[in-house]
Amino acid sequence: MSTNRSIQIASSRNRSSSAAAAELAHALSPARPSLVLYFATSAHDPSSIASGMEAAFAPATVIGCSTAGEIASGEMLKGSVVAMAIGSEVVSDVQVEILREVSTAADSVPLALESFGSRLRTPMRKLDPSKYVGLILVDGLSGAEERIMDALGTGTDVLFVGGSAGDDLAFQRTHVFAGGKALTDAALLVLMRVERGFSILKTQSFSSTGRRLTATRVDEARRVVLEFDGQPAVRAYAAALGVEPAALPAQFAAHPLGVMAGDEPFVRSPQQILGEAVKFYCGIAEGAELEILEATDIVEETRRALERKTRMLGGISGLVNFNCILRTLELDRKGQDQAYGRLFSDVPTVGFSTYGEAYLGHINQTATMLVLR
Amino acid sequence: MASAGTVKRIVDSIIETRSKGNPTFVESTRAKLILKGLNPAKFTPSTPDDPAMVARARNLAAEFGVPCL
Repeated sequence: MSTNRSIQIASSRNRSSSAAAAELAHALSPARPSLVLYFATSAHDPSSIASGMEAAFAPATVIGCSTAGEIASGEMLKGSVVAMAIGSEVVSDVQVEILREVSTAADSVPLALESFGSRLRTPMRKLDPSKYVGLILVDGLSGAEERIMDALGTGTDVLFVGGSAGDDLAFQRTHVFAGGKALTDAALLVLMRVERGFSILKTQSFSSTGRRLTATRVDEARRVVLEFDGQPAVRAYAAALGVEPAALPAQFAAHPLGVMAGDEPFVRSPQQILGEAVKFYCGIAEGAELEILEATDIVEETRRALERKTRMLGGISGLVNFNCILRTLELDRKGQDQAYGRLFSDVPTVGFSTYGEAYLGHINQTATMLVLR
Repeated sequence: MASAGTVKRIVDSIIETRSKGNPTFVESTRAKLILKGLNPAKFTPSTPDDPAMVARARNLAAEFGVPCL
């Protein structure tokens, strides 16, 4: 299933982890990649798929995570493993740092950045962000994403893009994979030197309604907004949408909130009502001003974003797509999942349905993509 | 006369230092500040200095490793 020699992709639906790894290795041979990225259904035993993939692709750097659905060129998949092999002519250097006990440990990002810097003999703040890019994969149930992204944002100008691991909507245990091991309560930082150029694509299918809410009382650690505009959060959010409080949850998917950076929303998706408070899938800072968003068409918006990026780069040789599980569920509901998959038919693509996306911060209902020229 | 514009000066310094003039990184640094709760667009050279906001901007400058006077 490969389309060029520098970046190749393959997928396997084999239920045996060792057989899936062997199938992927066969499909991707005779590539001798510097990096193999893979995303695996949680139906695989985490340790088996991690050790199987490491054995199949060593001495390449082999990293991945568990998913809530997979993406390969032209297809949205479930119950599979997808892999991308990237040659050294595209990614000439790969460094990996593992952050452990991320849900409780004091911030370990500065140490990881220091470690990258000493290996590269250049402090991370001085590393050329046009030549290096980072990938981040995080335990999707750790609740640590905001802290990690915040520390990355201040510690380096290198852009990190990625997502939170899933477990096929069981919400029990998610894993990241590195060095042949399956890790939970952990995050992977992958620093890559890219030789042919790259860009990051962030797309969310929403427009602003122009209506605003200010989060005036927040339990930031629990991602719960207690009050908007000095009113109980549920009442204020419902009133802004012109619905009764009881009808608010039905509006969540189509009307999340966005922190606006110019015209660009960083989406915060409501998860559930807790009394008169609203719990979100990612953190909202107290005092943050948010706009109420309105859903537009995911397939059409993504197609346009992809076309713009392709024109900008003059072509794409590979793409890694971190697509929010909420987008995947909406695509499924509307029967648009395969139309979405087909957007990537002409580009070697892997990706997965995430429990949160990463780019500059932790975000929701978004697709963040690493695009390689 | 009360002082003004300190937050804008600090924010501009963070953006200039960290982006090194590259437009892509001007935008990403601006977005990072917004996600941290400080919107650069809300501050002008004539915005009166609010001590709490000035302290917040100075803390952010320290986090970004940008010295500010």
